[in-house]
Amino acid sequence: MRMLVNFKSGVPVYLQIVQQVKAAAAGGTLRPGDALPSVRALAEELRINRNTAARAYAELESEGVIETRQGSGCFLKANGASPLRRAVRSERIIAELDALIVQAHHLQISDTDLKSLLADRLAHFRSQLPVETSA
Amino acid sequence: MSTPALEIRNLTYRYGRAEALHGLSLEVEPGECYGFFGRNGAGKTTAIKCLLNLLRPNSGTVRVFGLDPARDEAAVKSRLAYVPDFVAFYPWMSVREALDYQASFRSHWNADLESSLLRQFQLDPQAPSSGLSKGQRTQLALIGAIAAEPDLLILDEPTSGLDPLVRREFIQTVIGAYQDAAPGRRTVFVSTHLISEFEGLIDRFTVLDQGRALLTANADDARSRFRRLRAEFSGELPPDREFADAKSIRRDGRSLELIVNGNGDAVLERLKACRPMNVQTESLTLEEIFLNSVK
Repeated sequence: MRMLVNFKSGVPVYLQIVQQVKAAAAGGTLRPGDALPSVRALAEELRINRNTAARAYAELESEGVIETRQGSGCFLKANGASPLRRAVRSERIIAELDALIVQAHHLQISDTDLKSLLADRLAHFRSQLPVETSA
Repeated sequence: MSTPALEIRNLTYRYGRAEALHGLSLEVEPGECYGFFGRNGAGKTTAIKCLLNLLRPNSGTVRVFGLDPARDEAAVKSRLAYVPDFVAFYPWMSVREALDYQASFRSHWNADLESSLLRQFQLDPQAPSSGLSKGQRTQLALIGAIAAEPDLLILDEPTSGLDPLVRREFIQTVIGAYQDAAPGRRTVFVSTHLISEFEGLIDRFTVLDQGRALLTANADDARSRFRRLRAEFSGELPPDREFADAKSIRRDGRSLELIVNGNGDAVLERLKACRPMNVQTESLTLEEIFLNSVK
């Protein structure tokens, strides 16, 4: 996968990496067992320091998205392995949804439009997933 | 908390009657890549010379890994490497000899790292050091600094003499190679006015101006606080007094550009209430944050 960092987004750099790995995993670009670039390679490619790349991987690992295998690097974990309880997971996604609703309000997008956009995007992501996991 | 790699408290230094540093304080944690930003003449080199015991402060304290550079000069110098903005070698020495000479002062020397960097920078070990360009001299000094694998690397304007095209890659290579073996422990303190090259490398920074610290921040925090809001209007632009809390306001035809620091959301709400046709926001880069701090 190809990652990009935008210093003008105001989002902490490590978090941009976290979000891109999660998006790639959700979209199927990155599949369970796939290797991620090493901390060194990622740092060099994105022109960031190793602390930042390492912090992103540590965060992804603590959220159960990736795993580190001693000596061979970081790999995407199989789905559903989140160490967080369901309630915590719901809470996190609710916070994101609230932010989305506020943003939609400011962009003058109606509730109906927002719902159909959400359905579209879900369909888009599902269409990119490998067949065996979308069933 | 571990002992800071660097600690500067209320540092004041005067050259005669001219004050170069006025109560400067900052702290660098082990493993950080710390930017020390300021224009030429802001006092960056003076502060670094105080850290190295090349200058004695008029008042205030400096500590390197908890040690006083004036009292424990040898212990301090064994743990750091310093690359000044202007480097010189004994002109009769070849590149190889200059490195061997530096290695002779060190208890540890990573010869593999040295040869891999010599290759990357395409420096010929047999070349006489007197024939090197300014950029090559800097590269040679950096190789010497990094091969010793010190706990702290102090760089004073490391990229100022270099070709703009190679600058960015070069600094990435150097800092990457240095931090590679022990990223949590290897600390970098880099003074520069060419900030864009260091955008992704800096964890925290201090902006120095006229001997004073104007701003000390984490790079991510600073980028999320300093934002540029740009709005276009179909009719007349709202008056400046609406945005008295913005850091700066610029008018250009039908568009209004505001720079905000920390209060972006509140200003953005007010901007939207003025019914612009569209609004864009983006964070400032470290270089823009620097320019907005010193003006």
